[in-house]
Amino acid sequence: MENNPPPPNPSLLGSIILRLRERLGVNGNVSITRLQRRRAFVSMFTRHLSRLIAVLLVLGYFWLLALPSSFLGRWVYIDENALQPGQVSTYWNWGDVHAADKYLEQLEYLRDSNATSDQRAHFLMSEFSKLGLSSATQQYAFQSNMDYRNIAGTNTYAVLASPRGPRSEAIVISASWLSRTGEGDGTLNLRGVSTVLALARFLRNYSLWAKDLIFVISDGHLDGMHAWLNVYHGAQLSNLDAQPLELASGVIWTALNIDYPGHSFSHLGLFFEGLNGRLPNQDLMNCVQHIARGTGGVPVTVYDHLEWQDPAASPSELSFLPSPLRHSPEIKDFAHRAKTIARHIGYQARGRASGVHGLYHQFRIDAITVFAVPATGPHGFHALGRIVESSLRTMNNLLERLHASFFFFILTTPDRFMKIGSYLPSAILVSIAMMFRGLRCWVDARWCTDPPPIKKSDQSPQTNTSFTARSRPVLPAMIVMLLTHLLGVVLFFATRSSWFLNDQKLYAPALALATLTVPLALSQIPYPHDSKIAPFWLVLKAFNLCFASTVISIITVLNFSLAALLAVALGLPLTLSSPSTSKLLSWLKCLLYVFLASGWLFLYEETREAIWNWEILSVWFAPFVCLIYTPLVIQAAIVCTWTYP
Amino acid sequence: MSTSKFLIANKFDAAFSALVASRIAFALFGLSNTLKHDQLLSTPLSSYTQLREGIFLLRNGVDPYSGGTFRHSPLLLALFSVILPESRTYASLVWTIFDLVGAWALVSTWRARQNVQKTSRDKVVAASYLLNPYVFLPTLALSSSSLQSSLILLSVKYAAEGRASPSLLFLSVLLHIDLSTLVLLLPILLLLISDPHSHLASPRPFSANIRRILPLFGEFILYTTILSTASTIIVGGTQWIPQTWGATLTLPDLTPNTGLWWYFFTEMFDHFRPFFLMVFSVHLLIYVVPMCIKFQYDPLYAIFLLLGVLGTFKAYPTLSDPGLFFSVLSIFPEVHPYLRHPIVTALIHLHAALLMPLFNHLWLNTGTGNANFFYASTLVFACGNGAGLIDAVWAGLRIAIGKETEGYVVVQE
Repeated sequence: MENNPPPPNPSLLGSIILRLRERLGVNGNVSITRLQRRRAFVSMFTRHLSRLIAVLLVLGYFWLLALPSSFLGRWVYIDENALQPGQVSTYWNWGDVHAADKYLEQLEYLRDSNATSDQRAHFLMSEFSKLGLSSATQQYAFQSNMDYRNIAGTNTYAVLASPRGPRSEAIVISASWLSRTGEGDGTLNLRGVSTVLALARFLRNYSLWAKDLIFVISDGHLDGMHAWLNVYHGAQLSNLDAQPLELASGVIWTALNIDYPGHSFSHLGLFFEGLNGRLPNQDLMNCVQHIARGTGGVPVTVYDHLEWQDPAASPSELSFLPSPLRHSPEIKDFAHRAKTIARHIGYQARGRASGVHGLYHQFRIDAITVFAVPATGPHGFHALGRIVESSLRTMNNLLERLHASFFFFILTTPDRFMKIGSYLPSAILVSIAMMFRGLRCWVDARWCTDPPPIKKSDQSPQTNTSFTARSRPVLPAMIVMLLTHLLGVVLFFATRSSWFLNDQKLYAPALALATLTVPLALSQIPYPHDSKIAPFWLVLKAFNLCFASTVISIITVLNFSLAALLAVALGLPLTLSSPSTSKLLSWLKCLLYVFLASGWLFLYEETREAIWNWEILSVWFAPFVCLIYTPLVIQAAIVCTWTYP
Repeated sequence: MSTSKFLIANKFDAAFSALVASRIAFALFGLSNTLKHDQLLSTPLSSYTQLREGIFLLRNGVDPYSGGTFRHSPLLLALFSVILPESRTYASLVWTIFDLVGAWALVSTWRARQNVQKTSRDKVVAASYLLNPYVFLPTLALSSSSLQSSLILLSVKYAAEGRASPSLLFLSVLLHIDLSTLVLLLPILLLLISDPHSHLASPRPFSANIRRILPLFGEFILYTTILSTASTIIVGGTQWIPQTWGATLTLPDLTPNTGLWWYFFTEMFDHFRPFFLMVFSVHLLIYVVPMCIKFQYDPLYAIFLLLGVLGTFKAYPTLSDPGLFFSVLSIFPEVHPYLRHPIVTALIHLHAALLMPLFNHLWLNTGTGNANFFYASTLVFACGNGAGLIDAVWAGLRIAIGKETEGYVVVQE
């Protein structure tokens, strides 16, 4: 640009250019060099942008695949010095085991006599009272338009007032009537309940508690504890009808939920995912497993996954691999960690609680479930009691809430975890690639490379292609985006209505078809073919990608698993959405995208579960899918309905 | 010609009524109870809850300024103990009326700048204020920052119309509500003695007689003195001064907000505090004279840029402060083509607008994050505001050079 003839009119522009040229006479003009450097950078960046996007996408996806690798993890450690796990002698002995067995007998009698919730609760309350603890029951019922589940029952709880403290803080030891086996499939948690009763009997003998101990036996699987916790914290739920709590205690800091469905156990499994992807402080888990290994002598696993070295573990599922690979310990380790991460993502992305502990997290209580993995031996009440006793002593040591930044982690094995820095970049890289692609579309929408016929391009010999600016239809694109999100709201209300839930097989295809009509109807609107206006689809795609990228990168800190799923589900599809050369092809593509957007409607059980979670537990996964995910993919479908002229 | 004018007028009225209706519908939605404690939407200096408390104390014969929690101006105390309705719904309506007045003032300013009675752009200008989420969320939360924005717009409107007295009166009321609006005094005085029309494309030296601002300044001092006396009479002493004006300068309440001050001063050692308070306060003032000199040919644009400075750097900002800046951008359509990176600014704001409530929630509700999270998101927000401000300065200067000719580039020396 410095070789140009002087401008025709000596305006302000001219004088500036003249000054520039004067300066050029002197060697090393700063502005010119800066300009040249910037241009060189910009042109290099734009030339390689597609490659950069591809590299970012590949890197991001590979990082996601590499999450189970041993390079990304590190050994667990305990951050909070006040906890001092496993530093005490435990006093739980065979006499207490005998008491637990006695309680178990009575509970089995109740089970065999088909006792109602109320009868059970009154039995439990009287048992707590016999121990000298103040105890009470609480009846509750949830209203829901999904009437296929019985969501009413009676909770029992007892408070052991702290002999040492001001009673302003509390620890909860809980067991639900139904075990978490099969996500609450009806297996009873009788041994868990009798452990809590025997612990109440045992723990009241010690005067060292600085915090109140609250023993809660909640009815059902998740619903009972949800009702109890909401009433305890004074939260008003419109669909919950529950008795107020008669006994009060302090602020609950930590909670331990005991789940012991079998008659003996071989491992203790840690379950920790809470509602809406909230995780407990990792210190709590590290302490419990430290105590379980040291004090209890019980091996620990994440969930109920046994390590492949374990003789009790089920044979390897890697039969698709050739045999030398199948038996390599590295591959087996990798597969084991991958299985754990997949299960973690399954819970966290859908916002599901992996057990009763998950309900505590919404009230800022750190809680985990200690799950006694059913086996024929060798451990029983004796080991479990000692572990819980020692864990409670550790929690009793706390001087402040568990804090630090120990809430963002992925546990790959019980003793290895990934810090936020080693897993977050995977989703962020994909999101950056999408942002770059979106900005590229935005710039492409502005500039048209082929020169309009009226203008002679030979006047500027140094540039081969001349660019002409176009106006971009920003407002129509925004309106279309807003419309799709409003349709998402309609879709959400449709899926949670009772007529949909009662006849899913009929209404799911209907709703999917209704979703399909949106892009098809929009493609019928005539759009002016004007070289001065950018194509509508390009602007829509730019906004679509930028918004999707923002959503992914922001969700990463709230719920990484959901962000990772979104990065997989949206990353490539939205980046690749484009018009086609023929009408047929474009419609096929549109159909594919609409299926990606609304295919979940056909997962009947999954949909019901998600809606139940929203209705009863306020898990926002279902509204998120309807209001954000589906509209984003539909926008990509709208992009695909275009055809090149 | 007349029919087309009529059509425009009609269209504007229809659009404006639709906007008003939607805003009133929002106000009646009853969101104020959930939003009124949101730290992004109201600060200790603008919170509705504390205003109610002050009024309660005043009615019961307790000096509201004795406790150190009430920091609203005595003028607001007097105004709202007379007109504040007890019911939340009426309060929401009153706050919506503030916004409507603000939108009307903004449209009037736009008309004064164009020197016409009505334009087809009026509805866009009104919508940019009434539908701006940064503006209407604080209104739903009943934050007094909405009243402040409306007063700024009213003062600017009268200044643009050349009516000195109402403009200066509103400005001195504004000064009582928030001390930092003092930065607007000089450009408003300059606007009063010059004209509001756009001279951005043709810069020229300041033509009006600069001495004419002296009587206007005297008038402003007079109003301020009268209002201060009135405040003193209302409260029965001068104890309101350290609690209202003093709070802006000494930052006694470190409740988190969207601004840059609170975190800095929570981390500060006490013996550095006075020095940095001085630095932060003076920092706001140093923009005034350069902006007024550089944009001496268009003081309205200088006011706009100083609104951006206030939204980014003032002591107790809410979302409505940067919101006001971005809404006022709509009355300068001539600079829009010269903005360098509007999409980048918009995307930073999109990120910040989602991150701030999220990190606030992670820190204070779920407890998984900490103060650094929220502070980081307010830094992103400040980057967004700064990007908008710098881009506005660039575009305001760049427009004078004219359209880019093929083969030439404009650079900044």
